[in-house]
Amino acid sequence: MNRQVDADELNLELESWLAGKEIEAGPKWQSLLAMAAEVRALPYPEFKNQLKADLLENVDTHEPGYIAFEQVTGAAAFAEVLPIFGGRDFRIFPADHRSFVVSFISHTALIVLIASGIWVGRGTVLKSTRITPELTYLPSSGGGGGSGDRSPIPATKGTPPKMNDRQLAPATIVVRRLDPMLPVQPTVVGPPDVKLPQSSQIGDLISSNVVIPSNGSGNGGGAGSGSETGLGGGTGLGYGPGSDRGTGGGVVRPGSGVSAPRTIYDPEPEYSDEARRVKHQGIVLLSIVVDQQGRARDIHVARSLGMGLDEKAIDAVRRWRFSPGMKDGIPVAVQVNVEVSFRLY
Amino acid sequence: MKTVEREDDERLPIEASQGERVNFAELYEQNFHRVYAFISRRVGTRDHAQDLTAEVFHQALASIGNFRWQGAPFISWLYGIAANVLSAHWQKCGRSPAQLAAGWDQGGPEEIERGAILAELVDSLLPDQRTVIVRRFIEQRSIREVAKELGRSEGAVKQLQLRALESLRDKMGRKI
Repeated sequence: MNRQVDADELNLELESWLAGKEIEAGPKWQSLLAMAAEVRALPYPEFKNQLKADLLENVDTHEPGYIAFEQVTGAAAFAEVLPIFGGRDFRIFPADHRSFVVSFISHTALIVLIASGIWVGRGTVLKSTRITPELTYLPSSGGGGGSGDRSPIPATKGTPPKMNDRQLAPATIVVRRLDPMLPVQPTVVGPPDVKLPQSSQIGDLISSNVVIPSNGSGNGGGAGSGSETGLGGGTGLGYGPGSDRGTGGGVVRPGSGVSAPRTIYDPEPEYSDEARRVKHQGIVLLSIVVDQQGRARDIHVARSLGMGLDEKAIDAVRRWRFSPGMKDGIPVAVQVNVEVSFRLY
Repeated sequence: MKTVEREDDERLPIEASQGERVNFAELYEQNFHRVYAFISRRVGTRDHAQDLTAEVFHQALASIGNFRWQGAPFISWLYGIAANVLSAHWQKCGRSPAQLAAGWDQGGPEEIERGAILAELVDSLLPDQRTVIVRRFIEQRSIREVAKELGRSEGAVKQLQLRALESLRDKMGRKI
């Protein structure tokens, strides 16, 4: 009871002070009022976290530090490349002079044939492509697509068409009918706001075939080595090596040369009113993909806690920032499980 | 031994940040409250203090690659950036040279350290106590509003307020 009386008395003093009134606090409350005044000068609690997120947002994770190129110059460089030309140093390649000559002649012949323009598809002309630097990251949605017309030649290198949430015409590279009654722009199916690299030549970004027009070895009507009407090596209506729609990119798990992502900013989750009232506690287990920019995507609840805490856990993890997983010095999208703990003290 | 340990404590995150700027987060966490305390004692409003603090850390992150370890604590480098940011701010506000000089006298090292310690102590309060302290004195909410947010009675919130302030006072007394 005395405690409540003290609490009420202090609060009256504080209310007067907060209202800007001149007060002469007795010795009993002076130190606590001074404490309140010092607290008043602190920043808003969310400011610190917001600033941190803002600072990390501006950091480019593809800085040179991630990819270590060793610059070799002078005699050291010559020694490194010497084996390729059949030099005496056989440390790396046991090169043979005759093999080199045969290889040189055959490559020269190939270049001459290409330059002569013999291989030009009927009705289609390959224009030189320039992939715009607009490529932003492809959301690791696990999606993908693929197609082709059972050609023995891989799909031609190029850029995918725009994404749309529905597909009226598949993305083909070699168009069989050149004068359609109703021309329709080819698309792949996925989030329309995803930015894919664009150029004048539709094709598969990762193909090595830069010369011969081909829809690729897959089947379905689009282009690639996959199936259905997408574009790429996957299955579906999207683009890439995954399945279904959207873009795929082979999300990996830690291990086998892939390092796990590390949290660098992990604000506590909020408690739901419902759970707080009944003092419900525990751990929500989330399955997430940490993308190359260190953000959590494709968040799924692997073990639920209920009472609104699953949603609070997801909200919190969406704000988390990670140092991304790495493979061969390059950031990769990595699937991991994350425990989000809810404790009332 | 302490000097060497402290140097190592600071050197590693600095070099990590220079290698991969995403590692700047650790330096930020270590120094945020001191930078804010340095600035807040020299500007009039919380909004200005927050804006200028943000400017300091943006500049620090942008130029972390230029930092050269010379034995002085990293916070000294940040204070240098903060001083430049403050100077620019005051000149924009039209302060006279005399006022500029007076501005630097606010908040010495002990006060700055006290502000940083207090911020850390508030962060370490029990969740409901922390909520009361933040809502009442930083966000200036009423007892009624805080009670509604916490789902507690107004009497209970006043008691939390009393206990939280006592806890802060006692811990500050032990820390300094």
